[in-house]
Parts: sequence; C-alpha cells; structure tokens
Amino acid sequence: MRSLLLFFALLWVTAVSAISTTGDRLLVVLDDVADKATYSKFLGDLESRGFKLSYETPKSESLSLFRLGERAYDHVILFPSRAKGLGPNLTPNVLLQFINANGNILLTLSSASSTPSSVISLLAEIDIQLPADRTGLVVDHFNYDAASAADKHDVLLLPPPSSIRADIKDFFGVGAGANEVLAFPRGVGATLGSGELLTPIVRAPATAYSYNPKEQAEVLDDVFAAGSQLALAAAFQARNSARFALVGSAEMLSDTWFDAEVKTVGGKAAKTYNREFAKRVSGWAFQEIGVLRVNWIEHHLNEVGATNESNPGIYRIKNDVTYTISLSEYSWSTWSAFSVPANDALQLEFSMLSPFHRLPLVLDPAHSNPEAAAYTASFKLPDQHGIFNFKVNYKRPFFTNLEEKNTVSVRHMAHDEWPRSYVISGAWPWIAGIFATVTGWLAFCALWMYSAPTDKKKVIKKTQ
Amino acid sequence: MAPKHRNNRDVTPSAATSTASPSVSGTAPGATTSAVPVAKPIKAPAAATASSKQDWNSVVTNLINHYQDATPQRTKLIDAFMAFLVVAGALQFLYCVLAGNYPFNAFLSGFSATVGQFVLCASLRIQTTEANKSDFPAVSPERAFADFVVCSLILHFFCVNFIN
Repeated sequence: MRSLLLFFALLWVTAVSAISTTGDRLLVVLDDVADKATYSKFLGDLESRGFKLSYETPKSESLSLFRLGERAYDHVILFPSRAKGLGPNLTPNVLLQFINANGNILLTLSSASSTPSSVISLLAEIDIQLPADRTGLVVDHFNYDAASAADKHDVLLLPPPSSIRADIKDFFGVGAGANEVLAFPRGVGATLGSGELLTPIVRAPATAYSYNPKEQAEVLDDVFAAGSQLALAAAFQARNSARFALVGSAEMLSDTWFDAEVKTVGGKAAKTYNREFAKRVSGWAFQEIGVLRVNWIEHHLNEVGATNESNPGIYRIKNDVTYTISLSEYSWSTWSAFSVPANDALQLEFSMLSPFHRLPLVLDPAHSNPEAAAYTASFKLPDQHGIFNFKVNYKRPFFTNLEEKNTVSVRHMAHDEWPRSYVISGAWPWIAGIFATVTGWLAFCALWMYSAPTDKKKVIKKTQ
Repeated sequence: MAPKHRNNRDVTPSAATSTASPSVSGTAPGATTSAVPVAKPIKAPAAATASSKQDWNSVVTNLINHYQDATPQRTKLIDAFMAFLVVAGALQFLYCVLAGNYPFNAFLSGFSATVGQFVLCASLRIQTTEANKSDFPAVSPERAFADFVVCSLILHFFCVNFIN
C-alpha cells in the first residue's frame, strides 16, 4: 500500500516537472552575475528543460548550499572564478558534504585564470589532478581550429566523444551529426586517478599536451601530461550515485562556441557539436540520463506442486528458484525499459559471504512493458544451508549504482524430505538383506519352537 | 565365578603331575628310536606328513562326528542360522565394497541387522548350552528364548526405521 502511494507520488512528480529525477533547484555560481550573458544559450537550455536557476557569486553572503541542515539546491554549476579561493561558503568540505547529500555538481575550468585552491582541493579529494601552479593550457599542433587559433593552436577540434569501452553505453556522442566536431577552446586538462568511480568523457588526442603559458612559454622542459592521459571532460559518480562532472573549458559552453563555424587543419569547414555536448554533460550530471530505478524484485519457488508464494523468507537447499528484477532507465523526461548494453551483462549473485552462484539475468518479456524491463534467472540453490543474499550488484560508468540485496534463509532437508531408500535402486540389496534376516529369524523361531520336545526328552534322559 | 577359576587353577598342578607319568612313558619309546640318529632323518619327514595328514583327517571327522552326536538339535539350529547370517552379512559388505555405499544408512541398517542378529544368536547359544547352565542359574532356556525374541524384534524395528 505504502509503495503504491509512493509510486503514484512519483508519477505525479514526473508528470509535473519532467526533468531531473532528483530535483530542479539549480544554483549557478559565477564570478560576476553579469557573466551569465556569456552562457545565455546554455543556461537558457537548462531553463527550458525545467530547471529553476538561481545565480550567486562565490563571495555572496547569502550563498549557502545547505539550509537548516538540508540541501538548499539539488544541483550546482561552478563557473571559473578569478579569485584565489571560493570563500567560506564553498570550501571543499562543504562541496563534498553536498555530494554526500546526493547533490550534483558540474564544475568548469578555464586556462584564462588560475584555478581556485578550493576547487583544487575538491578535485584532489576525488583523485583528479590539475597541472602544477593551478595553471595549464591544452594545445595540439595537429588538431586545432585554423579559423580562430591559427597561431596559438589552443582551440582543439575533437571528434565527438564515443564510448571509452565496448560495454559502456555512449551517452555523450550519440547526437552528433556527420560533419560536427567538438571545439575545446583554451581549456585545462586533468589527469584522473585509477579509482573506479572516475571515468573520462573526452580524452585529448594523442598529439595534445598541457603546458603553463606563463612559465613555459619559451622552453617546455617538464610536461604535466600529454595525449590521452589528459581528460578534457570527466565524470565522477559517488557511491550514493551523486554525480560530479568536470569540463576543462568553460568557454566551450559559451554562446560563441555553440553552433559555431570552425575550420579544421585540413581546411574543411565544420560545425561545432558543443551545444548538444553541453546538454548531454549537464543532463548526465543533473540526473536526467543514465538514471536507473529498481521497480520491484520478486523471487519464488519454481517447483512442480509447490505453493507459488512470492518472496518467501526461507528456502530449502537444492530448491529450484526463480528471481526477477524489474528495471527502468530515465532518459530526459520519461522512464523507459532498461536494456543492458550490448557487450555488458546484468548478473545475479546468490551469496553467503562469497557468491555461490553468479548467473546472467536474461530479459523476461512476459513481465516487461515499455516502461520497465524484467530480468530473470532460474537456478537450483546450492547444497549449503545458511543465510544467503540474492544480490544484484550493477555498477557501471555513467549509470546509477545498483546494489540490491534480498536476504533469505536456506534450511537443510527435513528428516522426511529425503528420498525413501526403496526409491533408490542402489539400496535394494540392503533392503533384501534386512528382509532375509527377518524371514530367516522367523523361520528360526518356528523351528526352535518345533524342535523343543525332543530336546526336553534328551535333557530328561540325561538328568535321569 | 572367581573362586571357581581359582579352584580350577588349584586343581591343574595335581592333574599335571598325574598325567605326567604316562607322558613320560610315552616319550621313552621315542627316545629309544632316536637313539639311532643316522638312518632316521631321511625316512622321518614322509612318515611324519602322512601320519599328520591322517591325524588331521581323523581330527576333523572326529570333530564332526562328535558335533553331530553330542550337540543338541536346538544348538545345531542356532549354528545353522548363524552361518546363514555370516553369509548374508558378507554378501552385503561385498556389495558395499563393489558398488559403493551410496545410501549409507541402507548399508548400515542392512549390515548391522545381520551383525546384531548374529550377536543375539550367540547370546542365545551361550545361555542355552547345557555346559553353561551353572553360569546362568536364573535363566531357563525358555526365558533366554523370550529375551532373544524381544531383543530381535527391537533390532528389526530399529533397522527397518533406519533404512527409511
């Protein structure tokens, strides 16, 4: 009943504000609120998707991410600041608390000014390194925009991002046209740690490198990072599925580079993909795409003649069991059936401390509909009694973390559940042995009593 | 019991002394034959084996005859049943060795039925033998047989239950 109410409440919420799954309060932090004109198209797109934008400067007294211990905003965009720090309201600690409270952050950097120390510390917390001295500029002498950066080579033209691994769904490059390139003007490249929560969205091309234009303008002796080591845009998803996206160049989100005309080194004219890219990165960061939801989980006994009770708390060893999980994926404004990426697998673990079974969950069309896909697995429980978990642990880059545990007891065989020995043909000789003993004993008793009188006579004779 | 044993032990030395004289006289001819040591060793083994074989045969036939003559009918019956139990138990054990012990409870109950029955038969035989009568003054053969029947029924009940 309660879950039903919740479901209707959820339906109502999605119907009213067809946007992010976690809320629509978006805080935009700009050095100067007047700068928002620079990003008017990007912010206008966000507004048209249903977000309620508030603008603040880092130094503002009224800026607070929390109010009465609750999040005051659901999402934050941090545009680059010229200040050395971001002030007492945006310390790295506050920003991390915001992530821990399921808030999402989109952080943008710029090479025009040195990065605030608060941002550096926040990035260090989630294992993203920026160039030393907080200043860096990514250049590429082979993939620059010949129209605007013919000399400095600091406007990179990149192919639209594709999925970094075959089993990861492509969220950021699918909307790209044939003749579209991603412009990355005057941006900062970062290197990512090896943590599994971090995923690069855009990597620099092999010929790109990062340098400090103030100190290394003449001689480049110590390269911070080069080639695909450099992440130009990166995604971090915390264990609570709060999201943090880093875009190395704030300028690429500005009106200038939305649908701009650029010229590749080869002299071909091309259009920029930046607007769609900005939409997709912000949409991912603000929980509009790649959001997974578990609708229901059901498991039951799958044996002939057994009662078909849903989600029983106890099973017996070697029972046949069916487990089904229903999943939906949110995409911009609607929940749709979640389909597992082509080279990936959704798996079910049946575990007590360690998994006894790890089985693929296959699509069950009978329980699926356009809004929810049911995945099912049928298997025989292990020959081991104890407290077990049905566990679905699906943690993939860009998708909400799924970790669903359903605990059941598995009992041993009751004394009357074993097969009778006459059912087992191997026991027949021993059954025959018992009956031979018993019949032999009956015959013996009969003969014993029959042979009694003669004995008595003998005894009498002897005594006489 | 104990005084009786002691009594027996006390008796034996005197018995030994009484039997000592014929045995000594018996060995005396042997000693005289061995007084000619050179010619004897070649013939001696053949004669000895032949005589021992004959002895053995006579011992066995004597034993069988004695058993058939002196054993009461009921004791013979017990012995036949015990032999049957040994065969039945051996066959079951052999089957377990050859075919594996899969329903192990079935093997245990089948095999222990024969073993238990064998033990009960042995007890019955001990209690009903005429020579042991003095050991069981309170147990008549009828009483022993009744005990045997009750215990056997309990054994069969357990075995059939355990084989499931």
